[in-house]
Amino acid sequence: MTTASLLPALMQLALLLAIAPLTGGVMRIAKARFQTRRGPGILQPYRDLHKLLKKGMVIPDTASWLFGAAPYVVFLSSLLAGLMIPMVAADAPLSFFGGVLAVVYLLGLGRFFLALGGLDSGSSFGGLGSSREMTIAALAEPAMMLAVFTVAIGAGSTNLSTVAHAALGQSWRFFAPSQMLAFAALLIVLIAETGRIPVDNPATHLELTMIHEAMILEYSGPYLALIEWGASIKQLVLMTLLVNTFFPFGLSPAWAAGGLPASLVWYVLKLLLLSGVIVLIETTNAKMRLFRVPELLAVAFVLGALALVSTFLF
Amino acid sequence: MNSFFQELRGRFGGLIRSFHSDQAGAISILLSGSDVRPIAGFLRAEYGARLVTVFAEDRVEPEGLFYNYYVFEQRPNPQFLILQVPIPADDRRFPSLAEDLPNVNWQEREIQDWFGLEAAGHPNPRRVALHDNWPDVHPLCKDFPIDQVLPPFEGEQHVYRPTLGEGVFQIPVGPVHAGIIEPGHFNFALAGEPILYLQLRMFYTHKGTEKLFERLPIRRAVFLAESISGDSSFSHAVAFCQAIEGAAGIEIPARAAVMRTVMLELERIYNHTADIGAIATDVGFVVANMHAARLREMIVALNEELTGNRLLRGMASVGGVRRDWDSAQIRAIRRALEIFEKEFRDLIALIASSDSTRDRLERTGILSVEKARALGVVGVAGRASGVDLDVRRDHPYAAYRGVELRVPVYDAGDVWHRMQVRSDEVHESVRIVGAALDTLPSGPWCAPPQPIPGGRCAMSAVEGWRGEIIHWVRTGPGESLERCKIKDPSLNNWPALVEAVEGNIIADFPVINKSFNLSYSGTDR
Repeated sequence: MTTASLLPALMQLALLLAIAPLTGGVMRIAKARFQTRRGPGILQPYRDLHKLLKKGMVIPDTASWLFGAAPYVVFLSSLLAGLMIPMVAADAPLSFFGGVLAVVYLLGLGRFFLALGGLDSGSSFGGLGSSREMTIAALAEPAMMLAVFTVAIGAGSTNLSTVAHAALGQSWRFFAPSQMLAFAALLIVLIAETGRIPVDNPATHLELTMIHEAMILEYSGPYLALIEWGASIKQLVLMTLLVNTFFPFGLSPAWAAGGLPASLVWYVLKLLLLSGVIVLIETTNAKMRLFRVPELLAVAFVLGALALVSTFLF
Repeated sequence: MNSFFQELRGRFGGLIRSFHSDQAGAISILLSGSDVRPIAGFLRAEYGARLVTVFAEDRVEPEGLFYNYYVFEQRPNPQFLILQVPIPADDRRFPSLAEDLPNVNWQEREIQDWFGLEAAGHPNPRRVALHDNWPDVHPLCKDFPIDQVLPPFEGEQHVYRPTLGEGVFQIPVGPVHAGIIEPGHFNFALAGEPILYLQLRMFYTHKGTEKLFERLPIRRAVFLAESISGDSSFSHAVAFCQAIEGAAGIEIPARAAVMRTVMLELERIYNHTADIGAIATDVGFVVANMHAARLREMIVALNEELTGNRLLRGMASVGGVRRDWDSAQIRAIRRALEIFEKEFRDLIALIASSDSTRDRLERTGILSVEKARALGVVGVAGRASGVDLDVRRDHPYAAYRGVELRVPVYDAGDVWHRMQVRSDEVHESVRIVGAALDTLPSGPWCAPPQPIPGGRCAMSAVEGWRGEIIHWVRTGPGESLERCKIKDPSLNNWPALVEAVEGNIIADFPVINKSFNLSYSGTDR
């Protein structure tokens, strides 16, 4: 790897690490305003991470090495996935490493280890959370694959940089049925995968209703910080995938100094917009009954399947 | 009423020693033997009477025996019927009714734990009120000094029903919970997500409250009554004051009766509003909760303006209320409630228009009418499951005799309808407050102090926001108490939660629990 390709990787890395908690902070504030609260301030996720990193850890007596390994795997897999998607430039730093399938399965790897960590803690809540998470993942993944294939077929490649270049090259065609259906499917998957209402409630204190939070209930201190940070990066990765694939406006084709500032502005705008949509869904809906979640994901799957079929029809 | 006595005499002549009708709305029948079963069965079968509560009293020193008291009510008769059953000190056993009447299950076991009387034939005579690691003491007996220091607890721990079977597992929750709630242990047996059964363990906050009453002068005991269950301070305090007033024959001024009514309803309004918000929060519909919190704040701020305390403490007093209101305060009530009701209507409309919320609440945590009746469920939970009881209507007190009361009753018994009962009652309460204020007479707000004679018994009932609150007192010499029995509605309703969650999924437990919102402190005392 040359210096020329190292620099974009470092820049994207810095961007991922910095923006991911901020996205969460923005969403929290927006949510608070919708609920007529003032909210904790946009920088609260950073303060939380800072606090957690300074703290000591309590590790369950029953835990094995898996418990300690899971946070690193979660964090690194999200980060690696983040380097494989176009953020501000169509050329993703690690796009040679793999395409969208690699991204999906890197995130899957993180989730797998998180579920193991939850089980390994020996607490019954961890087991409950892990079992729920895997149930939902098993349903969300096929829906995601179908939607992703739709896009890949359109571009003729599963490599996300190629997809982005293709999207930049042609006129914007979001209103093609296949694109809209795939977008809808991915939006549902995004909500399910990032544990937001109506699938999961990130703000609850009720152990018995938790999914993601139940798995990480036994984690504390720096491990918890890694998991939280990793989860926010994963959320950013999925959001970026969504905005840059379907709305490629302003995306700089390459890591050239000229295009990047404008591209960054566009990127942030698109993220804000998508955050707004997610927050709106979260505020206006109650959490679903757990057994209804498969129905929602079935909808995502059907949307994905229709999207795939319609690529060949229209 | 006379024909009733004659019939009882005719049927149970030998068993009945005397009748006694007291001024406070109860008829006492003293029995000569300890077997209450035939007469209890007769009252239930022939008169459709409901066993409200059962409790015991230690009278070994003066009379050489214990008494069990069985309180019945028979609608629409406003008087309670109390069977006073002697239990000889040398044969400390009484026949259990729990087999037929599951609602006395815990209450009979409390008597076992606290008095050392044996509930013969109880289907599950294990300890309940004192945990298994308590030494063999019976703290409500008079020979148990209140300041006695017990040795550190050790020994047998509670044995839960085992969770067996392929793929079946156990989730213990509590006694320490996330969030600001009190301690209680919930032991779930699960087959995946669905709940097979729930085992409850309460009484972690047992404070010996009933014993504490026995060493307090009556006027200070009002403050203890306020802290039986923090969110029902005023209801418990009024129930206690009414019992004392009944025992001493104190007539409270008409103005005090209206003021008590207003505050009892304000307590209901702020708690129901908070509960509706909490139910919404438990299904993730936080916006509704934020509005509910804002509305509750309006009422507790009004409470502070009226009494100097947000939770209406320090206002109830034997003989009436402690402070009067001026016309500005009365205007403040009307103004606050006018704004409140409009916004409360919007809140309910917001929740009702949220399909996703309704989907979570409807047909969740169903408590059937049959089970609710069998378990003697009272209050909000009872009215949502077809149990048409309301002390305000059935045994009017304070100024309720003068107001017409609509009692919302539904048969569906799910979370949604427990919320519906609450929202109906809030509107009803606002109306009652308005109607009561219209009749607010001028004059004194507290009866002049008068001595409270010893050796008098009286019972009082108040419809707290959760349901029926019962206080029973026997006064002692020098304005003291020989016995104060407290029954919070939560005690009846906890076992109903076990029935309501069965077959639901574990993720729905919190919202089902919240729809009952029972008091730990009031149960444990």
